[in-house]
Amino acid sequence: MRGAMHARWAACAVAVALAATACGSGDSGSSDAGAVLSASWGDPQKPLEPANTNEVQGGKVLDMIFRGLKRYDPETGEAKDMLAEKIETSDSQTFTITIKDGWTFSDGEKVTARSFVDAWNYGASLKNHQRNSYFFRYIEGYDKVHPEDGGKQSADTLSGLEVVDDRTFTVELTQKFSSFPDTLGYNAFAPLPRAFFDDHDAWVKKPIGNGPYLVDSYTRGSQMDLRTWADYPGPDTARNGGVDLKVYTDNNTAYTDLMAGNLDLVDDVPAAQLKNVRNDLGDRYLNSPAGILQTLAFPYYDDAWNKPGAEKVRKGLSMAIDRKQITDTIFHKTRTPATDWTSPVLGEDGGFRDGLCGESCAYKPDKAKKLIEEGGGLPGGRVTITFNADTGSHREWVNAVCNSINNALDDERACTANPVGTFADFRNRITGHKMSGPFRAGWQMDYPLIQNFLQPLYYTNASSNDGKWSDKEFDGLVDRANQETDTAKAVALFQQAQEVVRDHMAAIPLWYQNGSAGWSERLSAVKLNPFSVPVYEQIKVS
Amino acid sequence: MSDRHYEPEPALAATAVGGTVDLGVEEAETPKKRPAGPDGPAPQDRPRSLWSDAWRDLRRNPVFIVSGLVILFLVLIALWPSAIASRSPLDCDLSKAQEGSQAGHPFGFDGQGCDVYTRTVHGARTSVAVGVLATLGVAVLGSVLGALAGFFGGIWDSILSRITDVFFAIPVVLGGLVLLSVITSDTVWPVIGFIVLLGWPQLSRIARGAVITAKQHDYVQAARALGASNSRLMLRHIAPNAVAPVIVVATISLGTYIALEATLSYLGVGLKPPSVSWGIDISAASPYVRNAPHALLWPSGALAITVLAFIMLGDAVRDALDPKLR
Repeated sequence: MRGAMHARWAACAVAVALAATACGSGDSGSSDAGAVLSASWGDPQKPLEPANTNEVQGGKVLDMIFRGLKRYDPETGEAKDMLAEKIETSDSQTFTITIKDGWTFSDGEKVTARSFVDAWNYGASLKNHQRNSYFFRYIEGYDKVHPEDGGKQSADTLSGLEVVDDRTFTVELTQKFSSFPDTLGYNAFAPLPRAFFDDHDAWVKKPIGNGPYLVDSYTRGSQMDLRTWADYPGPDTARNGGVDLKVYTDNNTAYTDLMAGNLDLVDDVPAAQLKNVRNDLGDRYLNSPAGILQTLAFPYYDDAWNKPGAEKVRKGLSMAIDRKQITDTIFHKTRTPATDWTSPVLGEDGGFRDGLCGESCAYKPDKAKKLIEEGGGLPGGRVTITFNADTGSHREWVNAVCNSINNALDDERACTANPVGTFADFRNRITGHKMSGPFRAGWQMDYPLIQNFLQPLYYTNASSNDGKWSDKEFDGLVDRANQETDTAKAVALFQQAQEVVRDHMAAIPLWYQNGSAGWSERLSAVKLNPFSVPVYEQIKVS
Repeated sequence: MSDRHYEPEPALAATAVGGTVDLGVEEAETPKKRPAGPDGPAPQDRPRSLWSDAWRDLRRNPVFIVSGLVILFLVLIALWPSAIASRSPLDCDLSKAQEGSQAGHPFGFDGQGCDVYTRTVHGARTSVAVGVLATLGVAVLGSVLGALAGFFGGIWDSILSRITDVFFAIPVVLGGLVLLSVITSDTVWPVIGFIVLLGWPQLSRIARGAVITAKQHDYVQAARALGASNSRLMLRHIAPNAVAPVIVVATISLGTYIALEATLSYLGVGLKPPSVSWGIDISAASPYVRNAPHALLWPSGALAITVLAFIMLGDAVRDALDPKLR
């Protein structure tokens, strides 16, 4: 499959907003269903159009105000039907989707098949400049709606989408894609009300969705107030009165506010406080595995990193990084050294393979030095790791990685850290191909499939293949895996593809990241989903 | 500011005119300054220069002695840091991160396992280098431009004054964030250049004011009447009498430039690793303050003492060059 899913780049430990539903376990307490909690947040990059939001913070809100066909279980990450009554296919290429009765948007409009088809057509259309438009690129007719070669748009709607009746529509893909239904929980596939199209400006100011929360007010750079929608028809009704999302530009400040009682929930505990967090919060702290992998990616558009022998240099760099020491000391074991290019949250059946990287991901300073010398040495004798300094605790670990490399190579100035002020600027430089050495790449899965960890990142010209890595063998294996209808066989093919990534060390895997959260005494039942986003609707406030 | 600071002709003040006001003040506040010594009596006979007078004051000023010694020490370790810290500031061992004081490592380790003592000592070099070089740049650029504007006046003076107004309007930290964030060099030069760019207008105003005052004096008019060239007037008659306030302000500024460098480095736009700077270390250590306060306190203390020393030195020099202020 040529089309690549786009995953969100994790700005830090915070994660995507694919929070999931879990319907009431019926426990009771002294909680107040009308009480509002406050939580840490960051401004979204774009207005909250579902097909235009591919970053963590905007996604968080979309997840509270929208419900899609599928929903990822907050415990397991498994894609379960939400608005979808059934999704049927006989050939993995043509799908018939039936939606449940009784769903409405918060303005009273019924959610129909038309709500989905219109939303997807809007998201795919070139003239709407939606960032997630490539999500629709394997739907028949995408090449006319969104020509990728710079040509003119010759159609407004995707010919592969057809409304059958109020509750049924069909999707025709250009090729087989067996796990297509599992991708439909991603926010790009959310339904949209007529109000979105009729009065777009008003909608953008105050989005209308079909989720358990309503947007009450939003002041950019400061706060967004969300309130529970009393008439929410879905099963996952919010157990609190609402959430006030407060904007922080530094996770240390948010943590301090939590300690001072000015904030109820932080979903990114700063690395520097990990040593104290148990003391400070006791059992009001959570650290759980999430589908995030930190890697160092390389600019293959730079010949220095793309010449024969460069893979030896990359392997040498990988072996010069003492992952265990860094995860133990900097992250207090809230990260796990990576030994493959996926994530443990996939499970063995889902394609995670512990130890796949083998020796290349082990700390072997002597061999690292030898390999780098065999590969012709570091380009220019130096390597610079670029990262964004505004979020998470990237500065700490990039410095530690550099020190580790310098110690292994016996050269104090072999590696230097190159901070970029903001995440947005960092991403702009990456997509502008301005990197001259390895750069931080934090991959946050969009949905828990091994395909999402490989194809978007390493397939030729894929949407998030920022380093422009290209390998025919890898591409061939991914194509075969996508067409495979048997899940186990598909996973096996993806793992073979992953071995190709390993043999070339296309990117250096660093560690599997956990999600973390800390909360005040007012809250209970705080959970993180496998994407490391708090499951807001389940939180109880007393 | 310049007018208030400036005492155009101390030589005259000490001899002919200086009788009433100056004597009164000095007798009241610093009687020790008028001892009976070899040069004590008969000042009228042998007028002392501004400089020898100032030096005589400074030698007896404890503030000058203490700050001078601190600065001398700083300059020495800036020149030869390895004399007292033989390790490399970039030699870090993560397994020792955040550990406290121990044998061979009196200040303990920071969050990356780097030796805080070594880094604090080596940090003096960048601070002193930035402070001294930036001050030199500011003083040379500012006083030359200011002196020319003050001397020639007219349209050039107006243009320069408006330019300085523009520069004064730029907020220093905001300007630094904007200008320096686009520069990727890891040397000290961008920071020095930035400080000179934003610092020269202050010095140029002072120099301009001093030159305007000086050029109105009779001896300058006399020299001009005798046919002295502009360059001779400037160098021989005006400059020596206008340079004192420039020196005073430059010395005090030196301390603030060091603090500014640390501020910019703290914000991540000044010096960049692998450069070693107190600002960088303070920034890196601040999130860890609860667990490893030593990593924050040592570089902060060094920075505070250094800035204080230079500001106190500037104060002492001002007092010496401008006795009227006491």
